[in-house]
Amino acid sequence: MSNLNRRQVMTSTVALSFLSTLPRVTFAGGHGDTLRVAIAGETGDLDLLQNVSTLSSYTVVFDGLIHYGPGGTLEPGLATAWSVAEDGKSITFDLREGVTFSDGTPFDAEVAKWNLERWMGVDDFSWIGISDAYEGIEVHSPSQITVNLSRPVPAALLELTIVRPVRFLSPAAAAGQPIGTGPWIVESYSSSETILTRNDAYWGERPAFSRLELKVVPDELARANALRAGELDVIGGDWVAPLSPRRAKALEGAGMTIVAEPGTATTILGYSPKSPMMADEGVREAIFIGIDRAAVAQVLFEGYADPTIDIFPTTVPTAGIRHQVPARDLAAAQAALEGAGWNRNGSGWSKDGQALEIDFLVSEESFPGSRRIAEMIQAMLTEVGFKVNISSVDNATMHERRPNFEYDLTFFATYGAPYDPHGSLGASFVSTVDTGPDGKIYISDELDTVVLAALEASGDAQELAMQGVYDWLHDNVAACPLLVTQRIWAVHPRVQGFSLPATDYDIPYKGLSLG
Amino acid sequence: MTSSPCSSIRGFAAPGGSDIQFSKLPWLVLTPALVFVFVGVFAPFLMTHDPAAQDYTAILKSPSLSHWLGTDYLGRDLWSRIVGGARTSLVAMAFVLVAALVIGVVIGSIAGYVGGLVETILISLIDIALALPSLVIALALMGVFLGENFDWLSDYWKMVLALTLAWWANYARMSRAVVIAELQQPYIEAARVMGASHLWVFARHILPHVLGLVVVYASADAGALVLAIATLSFLGLGVAPPTPEWGQMLVDGMSYIEEYPSLVVIPGLALTAVVVSFNLLGEAFALQKVPRVLKGRLLRRKRAARKEEDLARTKAESQA
Repeated sequence: MSNLNRRQVMTSTVALSFLSTLPRVTFAGGHGDTLRVAIAGETGDLDLLQNVSTLSSYTVVFDGLIHYGPGGTLEPGLATAWSVAEDGKSITFDLREGVTFSDGTPFDAEVAKWNLERWMGVDDFSWIGISDAYEGIEVHSPSQITVNLSRPVPAALLELTIVRPVRFLSPAAAAGQPIGTGPWIVESYSSSETILTRNDAYWGERPAFSRLELKVVPDELARANALRAGELDVIGGDWVAPLSPRRAKALEGAGMTIVAEPGTATTILGYSPKSPMMADEGVREAIFIGIDRAAVAQVLFEGYADPTIDIFPTTVPTAGIRHQVPARDLAAAQAALEGAGWNRNGSGWSKDGQALEIDFLVSEESFPGSRRIAEMIQAMLTEVGFKVNISSVDNATMHERRPNFEYDLTFFATYGAPYDPHGSLGASFVSTVDTGPDGKIYISDELDTVVLAALEASGDAQELAMQGVYDWLHDNVAACPLLVTQRIWAVHPRVQGFSLPATDYDIPYKGLSLG
Repeated sequence: MTSSPCSSIRGFAAPGGSDIQFSKLPWLVLTPALVFVFVGVFAPFLMTHDPAAQDYTAILKSPSLSHWLGTDYLGRDLWSRIVGGARTSLVAMAFVLVAALVIGVVIGSIAGYVGGLVETILISLIDIALALPSLVIALALMGVFLGENFDWLSDYWKMVLALTLAWWANYARMSRAVVIAELQQPYIEAARVMGASHLWVFARHILPHVLGLVVVYASADAGALVLAIATLSFLGLGVAPPTPEWGQMLVDGMSYIEEYPSLVVIPGLALTAVVVSFNLLGEAFALQKVPRVLKGRLLRRKRAARKEEDLARTKAESQA
């Protein structure tokens, strides 16, 4: 046996480590046909019934009956046409023919029924109206089914566009195998990346490139740097891999393309319905007009946000009539306090021996950037004469205090597309529905009736009833909408033809080509 | 050596004399620490603006005559915020240090002086507290204080309390060690024989030794404490806005680091300067108690002095 001397060991180590980098080098050159998109959390096995995988990656693998189009339009998915019965208690779907799952299983009425029955009428999914009201499914032919309901569900069609669990899985798929009819097929997934290949048998428009890599990069700065370095092609999307306005500005300066469009979720300052201080409408009014929304949008969001005083933006269906965003009015805010019986007391206000002091609950962890918005609002309200105490807490404390209304002021956001307006109205403004840690934006007995009526209304009556909710909230100053943050994505110059996906739950790939 | 057992603590390191010799103090490292204290104490006079005043027409401005260090993302004057932050840190640090010293010295001295079962229990307590890094304990305590039962405390005092409870153990252990060592000394026995009470012996003879060591250690610890305060604020705990605080300024500046690095660099530098100067200060004090090898100029000076002394002695001897 020959002995190795030190020099030989060293040389071979160096040689081996050099060799081990070679496949990487060749691989790194070959990205011409691969789109690399950042995701903030791993995709996991994309189980449609479990709340484990991140929401962002389902839509590239699975199709639903109906897809959410721009502005809330309904686009045909696995159903080519649908009709809702006069009484609203049954919906008939014409299923797309000739569609197969990526494992070769054909998609037909029986498969659709099997899929729908996995969640319709199941307790876990009673938060979806159509599941709660489910009675049965009739199969008329291999390409037509009817879903029967016990009561009309006005939002039924919109509910079928949400991410999970409404999409279709191959009945032949084993547990943990994400097999759908979508444009992409999962090749592998791990904690660091999910690799997808093009489904050449896809029924719709096929992507222009053959590979999609979803890279898990939890840190925003790391994502931005990777984009700049050319290791990623696309970053952004609130539910995919959030990009802050500030970072977007920096990336724009570095030659990346920034694409921003009006958002669908409203950031709302919620008044606690249980706080004695906030029960005073004069106080709510003073806060409402004492805040300079335009300044917040400009200073902290770099203009990537639109000031609003409406609950929903126009990018959401039936969002109601628009209100002009009032300019900040210090005198009017103070007049509102005076009108409510508050007396000037030095630089502050008092009423019945109580000082005008409010607790502002903020969690940077559950809403990044919120402490800075709170600091701005604190300064604005201090000018009005409020004493604002900012309580900066962690996620767990936020989740404990918010449902118990242990605050005077705190931040909320509506769910955005494709869940709104029914999702946010039904969850955040109705006292009878349990929303766990999310809490409620505002609740009262009177509001319950108004909202429930709006959720049950359909047809022409729906718009009117929805407007009734918006008017009630506005007239009672029940919530303080601040702004709608824009949807921001940053794209490497090698990507051409980028347009925003319909919702921020979708991975962009449609219409893209790679240079 | 010295005739009185307690004289050595009066001067930090005055082997020959019994009082502090100002010329022998480590001024080079003492100065930055003193500057920090000065800035903290006189902050209201040094601030050019209200550190909380926001001016949206002047956001992210570079240094100018009206804003010496420029402005931050809300148009607040950076110089005033740095100065205000010094005050915030200094006050919190002073409270924590004094409180932790009192608790630590009392517990440690009782353990050392009383001995027996009391000592076993107390030293176990100290060991448990020392088993975890202070910051981890402080974070855990902050978590507890965030609960409903502590609503009567403001975030600031929660932070001070949490840090105090996390910081005393080291002082306690050190105090106990000094007390035990000192108790062996014959002069203590003599004092007892002469009828001195326990309290007298402790206060007059032992406490000065304890303080002499612990205070020096604490001066080095002050930097770590400022850092801990900043860390808690960095994590969103502790000081609530609009009070300026360095850790908070750091975390707020993070998202602007690419285009406006000064928002991070300036509070970072301030923090570094304070931590380094307190560390050097502590080290200088500690080293004065340790014999050092002399080199270079100091050695030449010492040799010259020795030569002079020898000369004077031989002269005196020859005269005699």
